[in-house]
Amino acid sequence: MTERNEFFNTIRQALGPQTEAPNLTGTGSSALGDNSDAVSARSQAIQAYIDEQSGPLMDSLSESATGAGWKVARFDDLDKAGDHIVGIVRDVEANLVVRSRQDVLESGIVEAWLASLGVDVVPMALGEHSEHTVDELRSLAERADIGITGVDYAIAETGSCVLIPSAQVSRLVSLLPPIHIAIVQRGQVLPTLDELFTIRRRDFLDGNLGSYMNLISGPSRSADIEYTLVTGVHGPGEVHMILVG
Amino acid sequence: MQSHTKDFRQGAGAALSDPKIQANLEGLYNGFHQARIDASDQTPDWEALQDKGRAIKAHTLDNLAYYLEMVERNVIASGGHIYFARDAEAASNYVVNLAKERGIELVIKGKSMVSEEMALNHRLEEEGIEPVETDLGEYIVQLAEETPFHIIAPAIHKSRGEVSELFVEKLNVPMYDNIEDLTREARDQLRQKFVDAGMGITGANFIVAETGTVTLVTNEGNGRMCTSMPKIHVAITGMEKVVPSIEDLGLFLRLLIRSATGQRISSYVTTVTGPRGEDEVDGPEEFHLVIVDNGRSKMLADPNLREALYCLRCGACLNACPVYRKVGGHAYGWVYPGPIGAIVSPMLTNLSEAKDLPYASTLCGACKEACPVKINIPRMLLYLRKELTQGETYPEHKSVSMAESTAVKGWRASVSSSFMMRLSNLGGRLLQLPFVRGGRIDRLPSPLSGWTKHRKFPAIASKPFRTRWKNIGKK
Amino acid sequence: MNQTDNAVKASLFVTCIIDQFFPEVGEAAVRVLRRLGVDVEFDQSQTCCGQPAFNNGFWDDAKPTARRLVDSYEGEGNVVVPSGSCAAMLRVFYNELFHDEHDTLRRAQALAPHVFEFTEFVSDVLGAENREGLFHATKPMRVTYHESCHLKRELGVDLQPRSLIKSLPGVELVEMPQAEVCCGFGGTFSVKYADISAAMLNDKIANIQSANVDAVVAGDMSCLMHIGGGLEKQEAGIRAIHIAQLLDERI
Repeated sequence: MTERNEFFNTIRQALGPQTEAPNLTGTGSSALGDNSDAVSARSQAIQAYIDEQSGPLMDSLSESATGAGWKVARFDDLDKAGDHIVGIVRDVEANLVVRSRQDVLESGIVEAWLASLGVDVVPMALGEHSEHTVDELRSLAERADIGITGVDYAIAETGSCVLIPSAQVSRLVSLLPPIHIAIVQRGQVLPTLDELFTIRRRDFLDGNLGSYMNLISGPSRSADIEYTLVTGVHGPGEVHMILVG
Repeated sequence: MQSHTKDFRQGAGAALSDPKIQANLEGLYNGFHQARIDASDQTPDWEALQDKGRAIKAHTLDNLAYYLEMVERNVIASGGHIYFARDAEAASNYVVNLAKERGIELVIKGKSMVSEEMALNHRLEEEGIEPVETDLGEYIVQLAEETPFHIIAPAIHKSRGEVSELFVEKLNVPMYDNIEDLTREARDQLRQKFVDAGMGITGANFIVAETGTVTLVTNEGNGRMCTSMPKIHVAITGMEKVVPSIEDLGLFLRLLIRSATGQRISSYVTTVTGPRGEDEVDGPEEFHLVIVDNGRSKMLADPNLREALYCLRCGACLNACPVYRKVGGHAYGWVYPGPIGAIVSPMLTNLSEAKDLPYASTLCGACKEACPVKINIPRMLLYLRKELTQGETYPEHKSVSMAESTAVKGWRASVSSSFMMRLSNLGGRLLQLPFVRGGRIDRLPSPLSGWTKHRKFPAIASKPFRTRWKNIGKK
Repeated sequence: MNQTDNAVKASLFVTCIIDQFFPEVGEAAVRVLRRLGVDVEFDQSQTCCGQPAFNNGFWDDAKPTARRLVDSYEGEGNVVVPSGSCAAMLRVFYNELFHDEHDTLRRAQALAPHVFEFTEFVSDVLGAENREGLFHATKPMRVTYHESCHLKRELGVDLQPRSLIKSLPGVELVEMPQAEVCCGFGGTFSVKYADISAAMLNDKIANIQSANVDAVVAGDMSCLMHIGGGLEKQEAGIRAIHIAQLLDERI
């Protein structure tokens, strides 16, 4: 018997005789008994809800994100948000900013905002759009003063932003620089964790789960020494959530 | 990790007489313990979440083979590797061999209790590979060459002064007197390690069967580093950490995080499904999931112990336990301390060797009250005590002293009838004569002397209640 | 119609520790119950619920005395127990002890709803707090309440003792920090792990002292024996009394 089979044999013996497939109803598990259509239906309902409730959800997010340690600012449109971001960049005297390549940032608005400040802006991306290798990009992210991203979703319950790495989104742009600025647009806010995971389940069933996801809920923190809270341990110590719309 | 469970008394004694440890343990009651209570009070329908979480755990463990095979299919489908390790040694061999094959010289580690079971750092060092703990508490504990003191806050037994001294000694840096500076020093020391490491090793808080996804709950950012910087990511976890669907994560994240630290959510929740995508900018090229048994199947097989596998490793029972709050984590002598440790450590190492652990409890039930999935720890402690005494399921671990057996037989006789109670009363009153002053006994003979070291003992009543009843009976 | 025909009946399970070491507490409980109109019975055949052996893993040795108890109280109506841990043994832990002895298990489960801890009975069943003029004042007194573990966590009793104490004129209930934390007795734990037990006791005594009270009150003589024993050794000048005694002094 192979090692793997021995492992499973031990478990099966421990469990005693059973049917091959468990009874999934009434288990409390929200989902495995559902079929794909049920998940789609739930996912669509969520989409409709977050569009309709986008205003109140932004309000709720503003509160929970502040409680979670984000510096939150809200603006009617991207231009006004841009002024605020310019202010942050100026205040910390940043020289180098890295940014992700989500749609909201792809039109080059960050470059436009920061043009007059003489700050380098580097989009974190590979392939035809990039002049840098992976190692160079990582090096740049490490040297950067600020990382700017959009988000895939935000969560009102927990004050979180959700980043799903892809060709447009680097894992490191929101991790290595000591300051992270996340731009959340109206319509991106989910009420709770549960809606996020229903949507992700829909993505999985569509073959679109991807390899990674981060929920970011405030600055990097630790209370390992004498229960005393410190921020900026390995991740950014200062995080800004810019709500637009 | 080598087991020192049989040194519990010594370890407990050492902790009790160490004023620094006592001072640091004090913070648990108003800290983590109260934070969990506040967080659960503020969560609507907390009890409904607990019941649902428990039901899902029960269902998953009752069908563990089915769900682990689902994990296997999905990890492979997402481009990852999976290894099922029957014990700590097999798991270590896999990781060490992988590191050697890939020419890894430096490994960065996130917090993993299972890797402590494996003594993985030690194994890596033997092969000339440098493992570096990146969680701040684990980093401190590694520098101090100690084992973790608490599941969630491994270095909570150390004051800032002690950490400063440790850094001066091991890192050759100046003496810092504030925690921000100590943290910044740790961050700077680790920065280059993150860049240079060839392999990142993490634990996993949950494994989602449906998608083959590993979920990490962290606050510091080191979990993200370990899963984003090195070329290879290895996640090691116990086989009981499976949840069926990705839609179960919301519930379990709430239960775990609010019970561990009282936060609504940790700074980071990271989900990993296989290696990075082809078009991704960064991330590991290889992903390995190591799923470890190491004795868990023994608990699975015992219907009286299976619910110990529902544990989310939140640490709430440690924070709630009045015994743990006095003796701390080292006294328990192995990876898992506190109430859940009193069950898991003996069962994963050696029950009779660890026999102090199930007995060093007043059965107060605070652990059961604190547990997010309502694990009935006192019930299992009673079961293990019965096993150690009567040896029914684990006869090879029957471990009861002649003296105690004899004493119990004596007790049994004395309660066998009202007459025997009266007789024992008489006998007791005679025996106590040399010791009684003013209705109290100041010094009891061994083995009862432990009582009178700290308390007066009452004298046996010359007229027990049953004798008095005839005077206070129907009036 | 005879008054006693309508009287509530209760059989007192006095517990071995009160019987042998603190009979005055048993007497106080009887007086309180009688004053509340209860016809109290006492079955002389009672000995011990079996908890000392059960808690230490000697289930086979605990069974005979536990079985006798179940037998003697079968069909006897209310059983009142001035101890949270002994009441919990009957109501909760007999399910464990007799899990493989189905006949006894069935009878223990039938008995359970009739088993009441003392304050449960006095408050929930007899409504003592609502009886006008039941309690009279004596010298004003400050007391704090220690929550015995089984009483609180196995039986869910925490409001009743407090409500009874608060209904006593001249008695001020002062909550102490960590009232719900175990005192460190735990049966043989207090001897087997005496140093840990003592450390827990010292914390409990410090908390009692911080409340600046004349007495600490609880529903279990096991806790009170341990706490009182410690208070006496330290000559703290604080009484450790059973709630039955506190009520009896004023009823």
